[in-house]
Amino acid sequence: MRKVSVISALVYLSMSSLGAGLFLAITLAGDYSWVARLGGSAWIFLLSNIVLMPLVIPVVKKRLGA
Amino acid sequence: MTTATQEPQKITLNIAVGGMTCASCVAHVEGGLREVPGVTRAVVSLATERAAVEYVPGMATLDDFRQAIEEVGYQFLGPVEEGVVALDREKEARQQELRRQRNNLIIAGSIGLLVMIGTFQPYWFLPRIFPEWMNNKVFLFFLTTPIVFGPGHQFFVNSWNGLKRGLTDMNLLYATGIGAAYLIAVINTFWPEAGFGGREATFYEAAALLTAFIILGRYLEAVTRGRTSEAIRRLMKLQPRRARVLRDGQEVEIAAEEVQLGDLLLVRPGEAIPVDGVVVEGYSSVDQSMITGESMPVEKRAGDEVVGGTLNKTGAFKFRATRVGRDTALAQIIKLVEEAQTTKAPIQKIADSVAGVFILGVHVLALTVFLFWFFAGYGLWFVPESRLILTPYLLTGMGVFGFALLTSVTVLIISCPCAVGLATPSAIMAGSGKAAEHGILFKGADAMEATAKLQVVIFDKTGTLTRGEPSVTDVVALGRMAQDEVLHMAAVAEKNSEHPLGEAIVRGARDRGLEPEDAHSFNSIPGHGVEATLNGRSILLGNRKLMADRKVSLDGLTGEAERLENEGKTAMFVAVNGSPAGIVAVADTLKETSRQAVKELQRMGLQVIMMTGDNRRTAQAIAQQIGIDRVLAEVLPGEKANEVKKLQAEGLRVAMVGDGVNDAPALAQADAGIAIGSGTDVAKETGHVILMKDDLMDVVAALQVARQTLRLIKQNLGWAFGYNILAMPIGAGLLYPFFAQMVSPELAALLMATSSLSVTLNTLRMTGYVPPIRRPGRSRAIVQEVAA
Repeated sequence: MRKVSVISALVYLSMSSLGAGLFLAITLAGDYSWVARLGGSAWIFLLSNIVLMPLVIPVVKKRLGA
Repeated sequence: MTTATQEPQKITLNIAVGGMTCASCVAHVEGGLREVPGVTRAVVSLATERAAVEYVPGMATLDDFRQAIEEVGYQFLGPVEEGVVALDREKEARQQELRRQRNNLIIAGSIGLLVMIGTFQPYWFLPRIFPEWMNNKVFLFFLTTPIVFGPGHQFFVNSWNGLKRGLTDMNLLYATGIGAAYLIAVINTFWPEAGFGGREATFYEAAALLTAFIILGRYLEAVTRGRTSEAIRRLMKLQPRRARVLRDGQEVEIAAEEVQLGDLLLVRPGEAIPVDGVVVEGYSSVDQSMITGESMPVEKRAGDEVVGGTLNKTGAFKFRATRVGRDTALAQIIKLVEEAQTTKAPIQKIADSVAGVFILGVHVLALTVFLFWFFAGYGLWFVPESRLILTPYLLTGMGVFGFALLTSVTVLIISCPCAVGLATPSAIMAGSGKAAEHGILFKGADAMEATAKLQVVIFDKTGTLTRGEPSVTDVVALGRMAQDEVLHMAAVAEKNSEHPLGEAIVRGARDRGLEPEDAHSFNSIPGHGVEATLNGRSILLGNRKLMADRKVSLDGLTGEAERLENEGKTAMFVAVNGSPAGIVAVADTLKETSRQAVKELQRMGLQVIMMTGDNRRTAQAIAQQIGIDRVLAEVLPGEKANEVKKLQAEGLRVAMVGDGVNDAPALAQADAGIAIGSGTDVAKETGHVILMKDDLMDVVAALQVARQTLRLIKQNLGWAFGYNILAMPIGAGLLYPFFAQMVSPELAALLMATSSLSVTLNTLRMTGYVPPIRRPGRSRAIVQEVAA
């Protein structure tokens, strides 16, 4: 069970970070304040996590046969 | 060599679960329980806040269930008890939850109101009434913080418990909404230059009122759950708490639960009967309406059965306990209704899975809306002079991030499908409770939905449409002999007969006040009839063959005999001293309400079919009397289920109505098997729907309650989903490019609470519902119509 949690967390945190990073990269090209860039990245990270967690955990659980 | 594999024995345990608020909570608890090794089935009801777990004893323990429920973030409240104790505990738990949400509402509502006044203090007429310091942002921070972390604490804890197991629910929507609104307000208070709109855009009132409105929704849900389970509670309340037992000739008052099988009990006028039993002494009338729905009190004398929970009206009597504890009729009824409320209707399974996906979809939408307003919408349409609907705020200082975040949060809150989780189970609870009040027991929510969707109703003939025992219907007298004399002669001849037709004739004579004397001689002629002598007169009673053998001319009677036979009756000729005297016709008679019930079902658009083992001519004759067009005649008992299957193969949804004895396979095969006249021994019945009274009008009432419940479910789901579908685009800022108006998070929360309120009010309409067939004057109107 712990293995599932760790692997799942690694997957969804990485994917969310990737999403947040992508957002930050795009905003760097535009005329945005740092509050908007970092705040936006944080919000994207949070929502991405919320969306990804229920999707990733069952898949990992199934793959590991837990 | 053959090997027999034995299915492990399973037991079902009902567990009370706390903290569930929505359809996805149900899915989480079910998922958690199903993962416990040894669990074969887990069904959770949001409305009753119970989980029915079927498991193999030894493989799973109560502790495993506790762990599974707590791991997904809900409270394990222990196994559900039965009887009066359970009633007290359930009532206490419900009141505790109501009290908790009411206190939360009072705190969040009253402080939230202060926050709102403080926020809007500089606007309208408010500066003239309220001091300026109320608008101080730090003061508002200190007012709002206890709301968010006090009454709002539950949303953060519950959503985190779910999230760490990969589960999303409504709590997450609330937590992200409240958290984001609060965070923006704090940033704008202490770091006003951060670009979130500055001190003019502190959304403390949004965070505070959002919490208050969500708790208002929760409170309304708790009230609805309490109200809809009122029927169960009313049944439970019928269980008397005390009983007078006669022990060693002494009257002893004990708790009703302590009554033993075989105890002799005493019941005085006005007292409730504590357990089921048989009257051994005394006479009284008993009001059984609370159990069977019968409107008139029933007379009870020695040998009659009495039912626990019914009310003794006039006399005192003694009875012996035959069923006690969980075996009493009332306990069985409560169990059946509870089980019905724990099961899921197919429509609810669809709604639950839609709601589960919906929450995830809402977060994806919130993400999309944020990205859209951040990268495109803000630059294209943002107007600094724009306002939030119903607030004096100007969004002048709002930066791109603040604006996109505000819209995203509003979407999260406005889209919350909290009413969806309540829509179906609350209606099923209200409907099954209402049906039980009329002596109609649905064995599950699926049975109720199936009943509502029926297209064909098949009635078994004998014992269902008819009384199931022959009786005298016609007496034809020839010449100078009177009808009574013909019947009297026939009864004398049959007095010693054990044939059902003979018994019917004797009973028919006695009903008319004619007591048959003992015949001087009696002779049975198997397959033909009987002969007897009385006071020197020879009496012959039998069929045509007997009369022909004895050279009795039937001139003048043949026409009448044929007419009676065409009506499905058995005509028996009577001859006295070798001369024809008349005919006595015997038939299985229709129940009083058969014609009215069939007529009403046809009016409701159902096809009505009669099924019987009788020959076609008799069957047709009976069907014609009742008004049934389609007859399945000469069907052997074992073939009844096949006939039902054939109709189902035509794509029809079929109900089978029978007495539940020899119709059991057909009742099981039908989409809705309706067992009629089961009395109080409801646990033995095989049908999906059990009618306690022997009244066909209850078939109509069952259909009407089921249809009304399904209508209610559809309306509730329509309100719940319809609101979401309409509100989501508005929350996402669809109106902003045209009117420069945005929905504020607190208005979104108010709208969301309104959707819960609409479902609550709609469900409560069932409380006053009376099936049309049971409304005063309706039955009389149908009787008149049928007679006409």
